[in-house]
Amino acid sequence: MTALPSAAYAATLAGLDRMTHARLTALVAGNDPLHAFSMITGEAPPSGIVARLFDIEGLLPAWRASIARRPPEAVWDACVRHGIEVLVRGSDEYPAPLRADPAPPAVLFARGSLACLDGRRVGVIGTRNATGAGRQTATSMGHDLAGSGVHVVSGLARGIDGCSHRGALAVLDGAPPIGVVASGLDVVYPREHAGLWDAVAERGVLFSEAPPGTAPEAFRFPLRNRIIAALSEVLVVVESRERGGSLLTVGEAELRNVTVMAVPGSVHNRAARGTNDLVRDGCLVATDARDVLVALGLDSRRAGRAAYDPRPQPTGADRAMLELCAEPRTLDQLTLLAGRSSVECAMSLARLELHGWVHQINGWFETIGTPSSAS
Amino acid sequence: MFAAIPSAALLGVEGHRVTVEVHAAGGLPGFTVVGLPDEVCREARDRVRAAILSSGFGWSNKRMTVNLAPSSQRKVGSGLDLAIALGVLVADEQVPAGCTDGHGFVGELGLDGSLRSVPGTVSLVAALGRVRPVVPTASHREAAVVGGDRVRVGDSLRGVVDCLLGEQPWPDPPDVPVVVDVGGSADLADVRGQILARQALEIAASGGHHLLFVGPPGSGKTMLAQRLCGLLPPLEPETALAATMVHSAAAVSLPPGGLVTRAPFRAPHHTSSIVALVGGGTAALRPGEISLAHGGVLFMDELGEFSPSVLDGLRQPLEEGVVRVARARAAATLPARFLLVAATNPCPCGGGAPGACQCDDGARARYLRRLSGPLLDRFDLRVPVHRPDIDELLLGSPGEDTATVARRVEQARDIALLRNGCLNGAIPAPLLDTVAPLDAAAKRMLRHELERDRLTGRGYHRVRRVARTIADLDPHVPEVITEGHVVMALQFRVRLAPMIGGRAA
Repeated sequence: MTALPSAAYAATLAGLDRMTHARLTALVAGNDPLHAFSMITGEAPPSGIVARLFDIEGLLPAWRASIARRPPEAVWDACVRHGIEVLVRGSDEYPAPLRADPAPPAVLFARGSLACLDGRRVGVIGTRNATGAGRQTATSMGHDLAGSGVHVVSGLARGIDGCSHRGALAVLDGAPPIGVVASGLDVVYPREHAGLWDAVAERGVLFSEAPPGTAPEAFRFPLRNRIIAALSEVLVVVESRERGGSLLTVGEAELRNVTVMAVPGSVHNRAARGTNDLVRDGCLVATDARDVLVALGLDSRRAGRAAYDPRPQPTGADRAMLELCAEPRTLDQLTLLAGRSSVECAMSLARLELHGWVHQINGWFETIGTPSSAS
Repeated sequence: MFAAIPSAALLGVEGHRVTVEVHAAGGLPGFTVVGLPDEVCREARDRVRAAILSSGFGWSNKRMTVNLAPSSQRKVGSGLDLAIALGVLVADEQVPAGCTDGHGFVGELGLDGSLRSVPGTVSLVAALGRVRPVVPTASHREAAVVGGDRVRVGDSLRGVVDCLLGEQPWPDPPDVPVVVDVGGSADLADVRGQILARQALEIAASGGHHLLFVGPPGSGKTMLAQRLCGLLPPLEPETALAATMVHSAAAVSLPPGGLVTRAPFRAPHHTSSIVALVGGGTAALRPGEISLAHGGVLFMDELGEFSPSVLDGLRQPLEEGVVRVARARAAATLPARFLLVAATNPCPCGGGAPGACQCDDGARARYLRRLSGPLLDRFDLRVPVHRPDIDELLLGSPGEDTATVARRVEQARDIALLRNGCLNGAIPAPLLDTVAPLDAAAKRMLRHELERDRLTGRGYHRVRRVARTIADLDPHVPEVITEGHVVMALQFRVRLAPMIGGRAA
């Protein structure tokens, strides 16, 4: 038997039957996972708190049975096969935002690039049964936040969660999204989000507390919500019913002093009742990404920060040409106004068109969007 | 008695030699014409009888049979009248046999015996071959184009007979008026502003590129198109002869010199039928406007208003330079190598600056769909024309005149012909890499256009041909096409509207 890394044993422990967050924390805290594993298999004497765990009726046999069913080799193999990283609390790779958390996951599974956690992070969550308007809000919120360099944290559920991530992914060079899911990272739920899962894992990062192969059991979702709250600096609720799961996340966020913002909706909209309740209770209001950026201290209005624009800024003669195109003009007019030869003007316009600054129709050249004033 | 008189009949623009055979014999008096004459030709019986009687000859009570050999070919028109009348006189022994030898006759007879000109005299005289052509005085100019000094003229049946008998000398041909070549009435210097459109005219004339002006009403599309002919060099002798034959066959008046030497300009109205444009008709196969524009410019204003079948009928001649018109009883190949210049509005309301248009997307799409994609694709140059604004009218320097531009055009054409053996617009695609190589930046530019789906494969070649012409007009005449040339060529490929799938063919 080749020596497995201790992370493999941590992953195995996390997947045992009747394992809870508290029990796993007790097993792993202060112990090397391999040592904890040996205590269960009986190769090492149980010590302190672990010995008390073993007093619980039927727990040890159940754990031993599940180890027999899924030995560490199998669990580790699944992790490697799906490119899943195992982060044990206390290790160097363990995400910094979770270290000081009141209820940090003892073992965390991740797929993707952990570097995403270094940037600014905003949770965008909401109901699964969202209205069209809510989806639109979530999508543009995700898009604008990603475009402003803010990582969008969400749960990859149907409805608002999925939309916010789709919006974030739509920005080509935007900040990559962060997804937190309840099932194992190889168990896609809901199934129609398979593409979204892969896109998030590829561009950003996916987290789960459950080892590979874990089914999306109902009790795992509130636990997932606590990680979303823990990873967010600001939590935006786009639409939620009066007793929705999103409100559980809001509760977790309040525990952690995370700013919560709600997108208000119509008083007749059932899907917005939870968020309207939040607003009534004094929650901050977010109507678009700018409000969120203000809450993050990234005020785009007062700082005069340019909106994200991937187009290369034109320089020199091209910039002068772009300014002439502020109103629709023909090549003849531009030639006269710029006082240059039509070939030079056409070259400038071709470059501007190539980079997406101007657009030609019927011989008229028009500027697309607004060029930023700073060159 | 029997007589055989050489004459000629017209089919399409080509003449065919016809021998008029007349047989006079006893039997029931009568006068029949056989050999597939058409209606006009059959009526020659009555004209000939009246003309003979009016000219002081007698009408005998014999049975006259006229055969137009070769008898299986249809004969069209009244040009055989004179030959039939002379054949009758010879067969009736009123005129001695042999006096018509060595002559061929073309002309229509009046009831008073006078001679009238007929369409297509140039081709008819050409078809007569080595014999001395005898034509009506009014047709002398046309006949002289191919017949030269051998042409003899006559005013009436009596006159012709007298000359044939040697009783009178042949009359002198009428004086050829002194030719004053006005060189096209419209000068390019009259056009203010329109830098791009003027340049497009120059390129079209230099490279033989078909040209489409797109612009609102009143932007000067017609004015520009009319000035294109002046930029074209005089016709080559062969083209001039072919053009003259077409003009003659269509009974379009010839220039004072007889030969059509300047590029013709034809502007058919958009209600023209396909036959009027392409040529045809029942039996005569009259040349259409596209043949009349042979060697010159065919201008189609309001291109979208032409019926779709007319526009589709243009596609084959545009590719081949000839039009083959076939009917059940006859087929003819007519020359049709012309420069197509068309004008269209960008949309039904005429358009203008973005935002000024009142049409909805549907109406605009329907309007543009009329210009079928394949036809649109054949225009190398699609040039936006705008109403010149005040600045352009006041600040725009007065443009160059026709003579200056025509000199450059001639030079560019010479360069192209020397290099390709044809004008740039006709360079075969495989030859493009040899005669119009691209530098790296130019390739990148074209690649980008192709990637964005704004150029089709055909469009790609067309842009390269236009870029070649632009380079030929460059004072340095660079061998390799640079980015600047390609960018300009793309400027002459206006995108009509986003709804053709964002595709600019």
